[in-house]
Amino acid sequence: MLLEKVAYARPDTVAGALQALASSDGAAPLAGGQSLVNVLKHRVASLDLLVDISRLDELRGVSSGADGSLEIGACVTYDELDHSEQVRSAQPLLADVAGHIEDQQIRDRGTIGGNCCLSDPTNNLPPLLVALGATMVVQSAAGQRDVAAEDFFHGYFSTAVGEGELLRCVRIPPLSAGSGAGYSTIAVGADSKAIARAAAVVRGNGTIDDARVVLACVAPIPTRHAGMESALRGASMSAESARTAAHEIGAETQPFGDAHGSADYRREMARVVAERAVMQAIADGGGDRG
Amino acid sequence: MTTSASGTDTLPAPLAESATAPAETELRTGSVGISVPRREDRRLLQGQGEFADDVWMHRQGYAQFVRSPHGHARIVSLDPRPALALEGVYAVLTGEEAKEMCQVPFFQIAPEPASRIEEYPLAVDKVRYHGDAVAVVLAETREIARDAADLVDVQYEPLPAVLDTVGAADPDAPLLHEQVGTNVAWHGNYDWGDIDWALENADHVVELDRLHFHRFSSTPLECNAAVVHWDQGTDTIRVSSNNQMPMFASMVVGPTIGVASNRLMFSSQDIGGAFGIKIGSYPQIAALALLSRKAGRPAKWTEYRTEHMLSAGHGNERVFLDTKVAVMKDGTILGFKTRAFDDAGAYLHYEPLGAVIWSQVCCGCYRLKHIQVDYTETMTNKCPTVPNRGYSRLQHLWLIERIVDVVAHELGFDPVELRKRNYVGPDDYPYETPNGCVYDSGDLPRSLDMALELLDAEGWRARQRELEHGSGKRIGIGIGSTLDSGTNNFGQARIINPDLPFSGNGEAAYVKLDLYGEVTVNLGTTPQGQSHETTAAQVVADVLGMPPDQVHVTAGFNQQQNTYVAFSGTYASQFAVTGLGAAKGAAEKLRAEIVEIGAFALGAQPGEIEVRDGACIVAGDEERMIPFIGIANMIYANNAVLPGELRDRISLNCRHVYVPPFEVPDPESKTGNLTLTYASQIHACVVELDEHTGEVAILDYVAVDDCGTRINPKIVEGQVHGATMLGIGAALYEAFEYDDEGQLQQASFYDYHAITALDAPHVKTGEIESPSPFTPNGAKGMGEGGGAPLHAICSAIQDALGPKDAIVSDSHNPWERVWRLIHSGERGEPRGVRVSGGSAAAGDSGR
Amino acid sequence: MAEPDVVHSIEFTLNGERHEATVSSRQLLVFFIRDVLGLKGTHIGCDTGSCGACSVIVDGKLIKSCMMLAPQADGTEIETVEGIAQNGELSVVQRAFHEEHGLQCGYCTPGLVMAATFLLRRNPDPTEEEIRRAIRGNICRCTGYVNIINSIQRAAGADSREAA
Repeated sequence: MLLEKVAYARPDTVAGALQALASSDGAAPLAGGQSLVNVLKHRVASLDLLVDISRLDELRGVSSGADGSLEIGACVTYDELDHSEQVRSAQPLLADVAGHIEDQQIRDRGTIGGNCCLSDPTNNLPPLLVALGATMVVQSAAGQRDVAAEDFFHGYFSTAVGEGELLRCVRIPPLSAGSGAGYSTIAVGADSKAIARAAAVVRGNGTIDDARVVLACVAPIPTRHAGMESALRGASMSAESARTAAHEIGAETQPFGDAHGSADYRREMARVVAERAVMQAIADGGGDRG
Repeated sequence: MTTSASGTDTLPAPLAESATAPAETELRTGSVGISVPRREDRRLLQGQGEFADDVWMHRQGYAQFVRSPHGHARIVSLDPRPALALEGVYAVLTGEEAKEMCQVPFFQIAPEPASRIEEYPLAVDKVRYHGDAVAVVLAETREIARDAADLVDVQYEPLPAVLDTVGAADPDAPLLHEQVGTNVAWHGNYDWGDIDWALENADHVVELDRLHFHRFSSTPLECNAAVVHWDQGTDTIRVSSNNQMPMFASMVVGPTIGVASNRLMFSSQDIGGAFGIKIGSYPQIAALALLSRKAGRPAKWTEYRTEHMLSAGHGNERVFLDTKVAVMKDGTILGFKTRAFDDAGAYLHYEPLGAVIWSQVCCGCYRLKHIQVDYTETMTNKCPTVPNRGYSRLQHLWLIERIVDVVAHELGFDPVELRKRNYVGPDDYPYETPNGCVYDSGDLPRSLDMALELLDAEGWRARQRELEHGSGKRIGIGIGSTLDSGTNNFGQARIINPDLPFSGNGEAAYVKLDLYGEVTVNLGTTPQGQSHETTAAQVVADVLGMPPDQVHVTAGFNQQQNTYVAFSGTYASQFAVTGLGAAKGAAEKLRAEIVEIGAFALGAQPGEIEVRDGACIVAGDEERMIPFIGIANMIYANNAVLPGELRDRISLNCRHVYVPPFEVPDPESKTGNLTLTYASQIHACVVELDEHTGEVAILDYVAVDDCGTRINPKIVEGQVHGATMLGIGAALYEAFEYDDEGQLQQASFYDYHAITALDAPHVKTGEIESPSPFTPNGAKGMGEGGGAPLHAICSAIQDALGPKDAIVSDSHNPWERVWRLIHSGERGEPRGVRVSGGSAAAGDSGR
Repeated sequence: MAEPDVVHSIEFTLNGERHEATVSSRQLLVFFIRDVLGLKGTHIGCDTGSCGACSVIVDGKLIKSCMMLAPQADGTEIETVEGIAQNGELSVVQRAFHEEHGLQCGYCTPGLVMAATFLLRRNPDPTEEEIRRAIRGNICRCTGYVNIINSIQRAAGADSREAA
């Protein structure tokens, strides 16, 4: 419950934050703190310096393009995502998912950046961002670089953001014509920790042209299932296709087991949520996405 | 709900609306029976409650326990010096030092050989569960104490962990306490009637292989906390804590640390929930006392959630093997036999009393005549068991409801008719059970009917039938019948250990007029939300004929000023009987004294005196009156005006100990009147199962309770809500489980999913009042509830399963377990139940 | 020899009053409120930010004060339960909890008063579902949430009557 000694700084600019982050191996960004403060309370990691980036305006904006693309600052909170007209208009599923993360207090502080960078397999946003084909913009003193969401997550609490860097924003392309997005979770309790989760984007018109199916909770990082995606391509846009394709998830999927679900159960549930996410994506794509 | 003209609701809340006609209850005068709003609220709503962690003492240090990461290990070495070297550390107390400072190890309730357990306030030589305390640090700040705890250098040699409740009894199992020579804390065979005869002569025998009641806790939102000061000046120990049974704690801690009971001063004001768990904090308090003595400073301890989950105490886990039930073809259940194994955890803190307490409800709600329970209590490398809401009866009542539910299911009986056929009937009271307990009053069949009507069970049955195959969903309707036995006879401890000098029960109160005539009530209880200040005021106010808001009830408990007996505290569903019985008795004594003084002052006969509105008034002559301030004046400040006889006898400080009419039970036959009152709760619910995932949604939920006279209906209803939600939480979301290495898997709220408002179903309630003939006010204790949700949800899940599916055999049914149950039939898994003897009963199965 | 804790000077508004303080960088806001400011109404019930007993309102947002560091309070406006009643007059939310028996032990109550106050500021006429979602971050072990929801509905109704 009580933190180890740690220093704290709140620079006024992103440049100042990067400098502070580069000043020590043990420096880390502190955004909403809804993951990091728990890590510190339980002394799971030791840090020297917390660099508070939560109030940097450059990291807090939401902007949308005429084409429906979105750029979301890393320190935008879940509650802001839930209530942002731009997000709701361009990516309603993202707004919904963010609006059901845990509880009001966590949503008032927790950020999209924190949800991604404190990479935990049960986090809500990473699998959706991978399915949506988001781009993560990493900022260092040298400049910015784009990392595809599906390459961003490396392992538990490990991402493409290196020392001296921070996540600046997330860019989400618009759903292309004929595309829909879906998301399905089996959780311990309502809006609670996930036991199984999948996110999907499906594009097609009668027949599925392309599919992205991302499984969470079966590995340390959100993982696209190539076998299921392949089985969906060319299949009809139907519940039957979703069900059949989900059977591709087999023994190669090796989830961890814990008190909330054994490995066998999680594997079975991975099929169920993948099927449901795809079905929701198919239904969602039914409308005109311009 | 009335609304005043100003637009805000200012009147007290009306009586709880319910589906039952209140006409059965007696016409009451005064405030008993009215939902008087609570006086506790004002301070609590403004954050002005004084909870244990709010207490601060001059010169205090902050305490942090060092706890074992291992489930079972030898302590090879323990070096406090690196911690002592940290600036700001005042002292470190090790297990060896604690043992040196103690006179004797903690008193053990168990007989030989478990009485040989040597437990000290800190672990010595060995640690026996994940979280077992080995040292405690005292430092200038919380953070320094926490940092220093990490620096205490402890080297362990892990040992094989004993984690199987049943396997722990094997003679070959590794021993937790070598000097005991076994992990069996207690064993006894309870045998009433003749179950072997019954099984032989029954039309059917239903056998259930294994039933498991899981380990969980009510996890009060406030964890344990204490400031303990061994005051060198007066050689007394002040314990400002939230322990809920401080006299029990005194009686265990005192002899161990060598302090007379009149030098241990427990106090508490507001307690943030306890549910029995806060009975178990006496070892920590003892350690803190020794630490305080060593350091020469008060020791302030705040237990955080992880520490609480690891070490504060868990509820009983119980396994029932080879249960056999004798059933006649008309549905009469003659009785059952079972082998019960209860898991006490690593140390016996109040256990093995649980090994007899279940027998308060040996036949549950039913007229079973033949019962045999071969009961073994084992010790394992898990957190010690402490009483947890429903303590020990909950587990047994769940067994019985599973039995009744499975019998109905397997033999094709209508689950409602089967229950009614076997229920203790409304005309059977007072009903003597096979082991000599006496059920005081109730109306179970009417409670069940009310529950089913409120649920609209018929409507749900229709919807269940209409639900399409292949929809992926299933609907199940379940019933849970339970009893909340209250005011227990501590003499049942002698069934566990005949040498224990305990029997009976009681609670103390005093009611007085203070210097200016203020009516003041002081109780031996330690309320944690049960509204004692409000309800005691109601009872006393009614005796003295005044509005309850003019009766002052001291908040909290203070050993120096409150009156108490050894049983004092708040636990085990008894306050309405014992606490309020004591308050009523003391108020009646005070009233008699007031009348005598008033009669003298007014020159009237005592028989002519009315006591109302804070005064004595001569009947029919309103002018001749004297207010309480005048009465008090004559005793406190003006006693020369009184005749010697009155002055010598009357104090206006009246103490009463309510003592229920118990005798000592018989340890040989294990019989006796073990509890005074039996409240009941009948729950009914509808669940919807997702066939693909095992997720359970509660579509409808009803709780009908009967606790006799309801002193304050809204408060009673609040207790029913609370017990219901904790039960639902345990049924679907909450469990403590250990892995193969003895590591607790749910050591914080991150992993232990305490039920939230978004999980919680809407709960409808109904009530019946069957006053108890045995209590001063007709009320029965009712706070614990009896765990009906666990019974009802298991029953509902069973109802949604198919005939080839396994029986619901675990009290905890998270999604994976339910998913496996749903698919158990198609996978040809063993069902866990066998029926023998003739064909199933003909008749409507209700499906 | 231990290094002293790093400290920061902060200024903030607490229940409408301006304050300055020096805080240790590792101190959680809830400890600052309780131990340093001496306001005991904000409670601690867990160590994972799960229970909501520590809920306060910072810059108009409902947050868990055990999940924020004390130095992060610099430049903010903090509201705790002590600031809800005005001149000893209970607020509409507090009165509603009293009338509906929305509290038993009272330990979760300050957090819930803050959560309900925040909800009704934002959404004066919430549905039952919205109320449940709004208090999902506040664990109560005594009431089963039934009367808490009744209390918030009553407060919402009273609010709308007063506004009318």
